[in-house]
Amino acid sequence: MLDKNDCQEKTDEELVRLALKNQDFFACLVERYEPKLMRYVRRISAATQEDAEDLLQEIFVKVYRNLNGFDPNLKFSSWIYRIAHNQVVSQWRKTKSRPQVLKFEADEDFLKFIASDVDLAGDTERKFSGEEVREFLKRLDKKYREVLVLKFLEEKDYQEISDILEKPLGTVATLINRAKKQFAKIVKEKKIKF
Amino acid sequence: MKKLCDKVLEKIRKEKIEPKPRWHFLLKDYFVWLAFAVSAFVGALAFCVTLSIVVDNDWDIYRYLSMSPAKHILLSLPYLWIVVILLFLGLAFYNYKHTKGGYRHGTFVVLALSIAGSVVLGLVFHSLGMGRKIDRIFSQNLPFYQNVHCCCNRKDIWSQPEKGLLGGRILNVRLENGFDIEDFGGIIWQVEKNNETLIRGPVLIIENEEVKLIGEKRDERRFRAREIRPWSGK
Repeated sequence: MLDKNDCQEKTDEELVRLALKNQDFFACLVERYEPKLMRYVRRISAATQEDAEDLLQEIFVKVYRNLNGFDPNLKFSSWIYRIAHNQVVSQWRKTKSRPQVLKFEADEDFLKFIASDVDLAGDTERKFSGEEVREFLKRLDKKYREVLVLKFLEEKDYQEISDILEKPLGTVATLINRAKKQFAKIVKEKKIKF
Repeated sequence: MKKLCDKVLEKIRKEKIEPKPRWHFLLKDYFVWLAFAVSAFVGALAFCVTLSIVVDNDWDIYRYLSMSPAKHILLSLPYLWIVVILLFLGLAFYNYKHTKGGYRHGTFVVLALSIAGSVVLGLVFHSLGMGRKIDRIFSQNLPFYQNVHCCCNRKDIWSQPEKGLLGGRILNVRLENGFDIEDFGGIIWQVEKNNETLIRGPVLIIENEEVKLIGEKRDERRFRAREIRPWSGK
């Protein structure tokens, strides 16, 4: 059985190599990525906590199955996020006949992050509710929502987003620009001032 | 309550889940690249056949057919091969996008490179005469090929002696005055030629050579040739 020290000093890539020989090292990767992926999965899906855990379990099993397919030219985090994203999309396609309500963990900083990047005219500060944040995001196209989450909440750079979503860099940049414009338009329509 | 990593490891052990072997991923990569290469190669071949057909076509005979140049062009284009080019370019694009790093390149770049690659390779094939060979093989072995690859059947066009267009296979050569040909309907014609008859480029007046003749019909079995062209090429 491994202890924490066996995992802490090792890079993701080293853990991948070790996990291929010894399953216990895979637990290190799971522990390292569980909190991040749980937040990410809940942000982009309509999953409850329980559903998200089940989904996350499937994601990690898929990661384990495909460990030999990991391309060392990519960051491991981009690769695992890509699997998580694809699994969520796949799950959404299976269940899309059922009515979905976008649930979003109201992140107080989300609008501040995006507002600093978007030219929103405003001179007052206003508290926003999670409900309003949910409303804004619900109105965004899915393709814009996913890049905004990756950029402003997961704090991924353009290259990482390109690798996660498997889209060219130029397309990612265009999507983010359009997402911000659409978001600003939605906020202005609601006459929310920051 | 069990931690997620314990649940994951338990599932892996219980269901005896193993990582897929490395060769599985390598094979998949090679297969996709092979599919891309084959698509690009076939696209290039289709391009070279199209080019050969376009180069060999008699764009100037619309006058004899009482047709406008535009109509003649539209009827002469090899639509089947154009569709094949588009289909295999599309396949090459799709396969490239599904390679490991294919997503990194924009649609326009991938399409432009696929087209450029097919054109360059197609030109190489064309210079080796592959386009004509493929066209001939298809004509000889596929019964409906002539009717399908473009809207006009070349043999039908060159079976209109009353309009001054006659094509066929040379049966025998009569010294300097002419030769006999068997047209595509099996009728044997005596062809007259003189010093003013224009003999185009690489045409050989020898037995079994296929030729196209422009001239006038003298009677039911005689044709005066003003111009003699090779059946393939110019």
